[in-house]
Formats: sequence, C-alpha cells, structure tokens
Amino acid sequence: MISVKNLCKEFKNTDGSVTKVLKGINYEINKGEKIVIVGPSGSGKSTFLRCLNLMERPTSGHIIFDDVDITDPKVNINKVRERMGMVFQHFNLFNNLTVMQNLTLAPVKLGIMSETEAKEKAKGLLERVNLLDKADVYPISLSGGQKQRIAIVRSLCMNPEVILFDEPTSALDPEMVGEVLDVMKQLADEGMTMVVVTHEMGFAKEVATKVLFVDEGQILEENTPEEFFGNPQSKRLQEFLSKVL
Amino acid sequence: MTLQERFIAAFVESDRWKLYISGLGITLEIALFAGIIGIIIGTLLALMKLSTTEEGKPTLPNYIATIYIDVIRGTPSVLQLLIMWFIIMASSNNGILVASLSFGINSGAYVAEIVRGGILAVDKGQMEAGRSLGLSKWATMRYIILPQAVKNVIPPLGNEFITLIKETAIVGYVSLTDLTRVANQIASRTYDAFMPLIGVAVIYFVIIKLLTIFLGKLERRMRRSDIR
Repeated sequence: MISVKNLCKEFKNTDGSVTKVLKGINYEINKGEKIVIVGPSGSGKSTFLRCLNLMERPTSGHIIFDDVDITDPKVNINKVRERMGMVFQHFNLFNNLTVMQNLTLAPVKLGIMSETEAKEKAKGLLERVNLLDKADVYPISLSGGQKQRIAIVRSLCMNPEVILFDEPTSALDPEMVGEVLDVMKQLADEGMTMVVVTHEMGFAKEVATKVLFVDEGQILEENTPEEFFGNPQSKRLQEFLSKVL
Repeated sequence: MTLQERFIAAFVESDRWKLYISGLGITLEIALFAGIIGIIIGTLLALMKLSTTEEGKPTLPNYIATIYIDVIRGTPSVLQLLIMWFIIMASSNNGILVASLSFGINSGAYVAEIVRGGILAVDKGQMEAGRSLGLSKWATMRYIILPQAVKNVIPPLGNEFITLIKETAIVGYVSLTDLTRVANQIASRTYDAFMPLIGVAVIYFVIIKLLTIFLGKLERRMRRSDIR
C-alpha cells in the first residue's frame, strides 16, 4: 500500500550545517497492517511518519502510495492526503470551529460529502467515542483526551485508507491515555491500516502487526511484537527496551 | 478681549461651529475610507508576503509585496499625498477620493506587517491539521487561520487606525478642508489662533479617546471565547 524507498531527510541549520535526520529508509506497509514505530527521542521516527503524507518533504527518496509516487511534484498532494488521515501529538483541533464544524469542514469543502451526509457521519462517529454531547462546543472546553478522540474522529470523517498517528498520547495527562488508546484499538480491530509513532509499549505489544525500532535515522530492527520485545537482536534495542520497559 | 469673547469669536459667531463639524466629517470620512482600503491592501500584501512554494521558497508575489512595503514605508506620507494629487491622479478633482486612496495605500503597508504577525501567531499545528485533511493552503488560510488571526490583529489595527485619523491632518496640502485646516482658516479670520487650535486638539483627543474605549471593549469581548 505504501512503500518507502531510500527515504532521506536533511534539515539545514541556521549556521549552514546540515543535520541528516533520515538516512535512507526502506519499508513496505501493507493494507490492514498496524505498524508501531518506537525509538529514542530525536531518532527521526516522527520525521519518518510526517514524510509519509509529505508534511515534511523528503530530501531524496520516494514514497509510493497505491502505485503513485507522491514525491513527484506533479502529483496533487491534497488529493493524496484526503485518503491518508493524520492524528497529531497536540491534537490541532481548529480552535475557531465547534466540534461538529471541525469534523465536517474538510469533507464538505472538498466536495466528498454533502453537509447533511457529513453531519450524519460525524454524529455516528461521535456517538461511538461517547462524545455526541460535545458536538456544539468549542475545542477549548474539552479535556486533552476528549480533544484527541475528536481529532481521531475528524480524520475518520474523511474515510481514510490509512491513519498516521504522531505520538497521539504524549501530550495527555496519564489518566486520559487509556481512553485514546481504546479508540485506537477499536480502529485496529476494524481493520484500519495504521502507522503509529508512540512511547506506549503496551499498545505496541497488543495491537501492532510489526514494530519498528528507529534510531539515528535508520530502521535498526523490525519484527513482530512477540519477537521484538521477547528477543531483541541489536544492542541498541536491548538498551532502549531496558530503559522503557 | 476676554476669554469668553474669544471663545464666541472662534466657535459661535457666524455659525463657525458648523465649520468644525464639516471639517471633522471630512477627517473621519478620509480616515474611514483609507482604513478600509488599508485593511484590504494590507491583508493581500500579508498573504503575498507569506506565500511560498511547497518547498518553502519565496514566490514572485512575495517579492512584489516586499518592494511595495519598502517603498511606502521609505517615503513620507505627505509626499505620497502630493504625488497622488499632482501627478498620478492629477485629472481628478475629488480630493476626498485622492486622499483616501493615498492614505489607504500608505496604511496598507503597515497593516500588512500587522496582519502577517497576526497570521504567524496562529499555532503552526492549525495549518498542518488543515493540510493533513487534504485542504489546500488557501482553503486552510481562509477557514482556519484568518478567522483566528483576526483576534490577534484587533489591538494593533486599532492603533493603526488611530494613527491614521491624526495623520489625515495633512490633507490641507491638497486643499481639503479637514478639521485641522478649519482651525487654521478660522484663526486667520479672527486673528486668534489659541481658541481654534486648542479646540480642534480637544476634538481630536475626544474622538480618539472614544475610539480607544470602544476598541478596549471589542478586545475584551473577543478574548471571552478564549475562556472556558
């Protein structure tokens, strides 16, 4: 579904030097897979995720999504993003819109659904995450967990084929992590293709089809959760796991 | 002459108070039109200045806006007014139109920086969220960023409008009889500058004080939506 070919990303620093964040990543994500990416901070795992929908432009390399190379400048990236949802660490709900408007804006403005259809869909999804009573409030009055559940619903309203999660629980108070992970587990059970950058090892063990260990801009190890956590191969991963588990 | 007689000569005699009112009308009319033109030009310039390619490089409109702002900020507004009146729009004898345009074009350069700042102050994640859903940069700007930027720009925009009201005092140069010019004309008729000049100063002050109070109220009301 998504294949990543020799993906490199460099950032220019203010002093003119160049930081290589991603150093040639190759990976294949298949439909229905739940890929969980872990790694130390600064390892490039978020940058990798953000390259998948071109929130970051790769310096070189290719992202092939359903046989289309989306790094080709001629590809309309907006059309591609309609099919790839994204959930952010800081939720990024639109502050000037109510919850319902947050959910319906993109599907309606992009002509994917009529206003009524979008509202119906949004209502159904809000009900599923038990937040239907919040439809007409502004994001400012929601808790972090509520915001993130609504952000997930917002991406679902577009009927995406894959959802990218960029540390979805890292900005939450501990007692709210569970409610967000529950929604993500539900999605996983329904067969959604998911790519998740997270520090929640429990989630990785329970949900992932594959776990990737990214360090210093490369995929150092890639395995099923059982093998990944039970039998880590590289020294770096063993060290990492001994610190986080 | 007693103070009372001087007051009567400056404001009451020959219905002179009517001149102040018509002068104030002209001052406010120019400021209002110029303010509207300034906001339109300023917002356009701000969007131009923020326009980059998907790779983050500046675009042609970006350069045009930078040149506009540099030129306008780099020359005195009196000079711009005179150039507009005697050269660019020399065929027009509608002084209010010429002055409104001239001040509007001038104000636009300053408003551009205000609006740009207001847009940049909106959290970067808002644009990312819009883009991640497949909305174009401009759609996200229009539905998400600009509505939030409005709240940021109200205070400095109010400040700019206050400056604008006072700056129109130079339209006497192109033979418009605004509030300041009225004071001058009356002073030359009554041979007493004190009353008309101080009187006009008080009028400017009161207008701007009222505006300040109104803007303060507006600002507080807009902040209310930030509170739970």
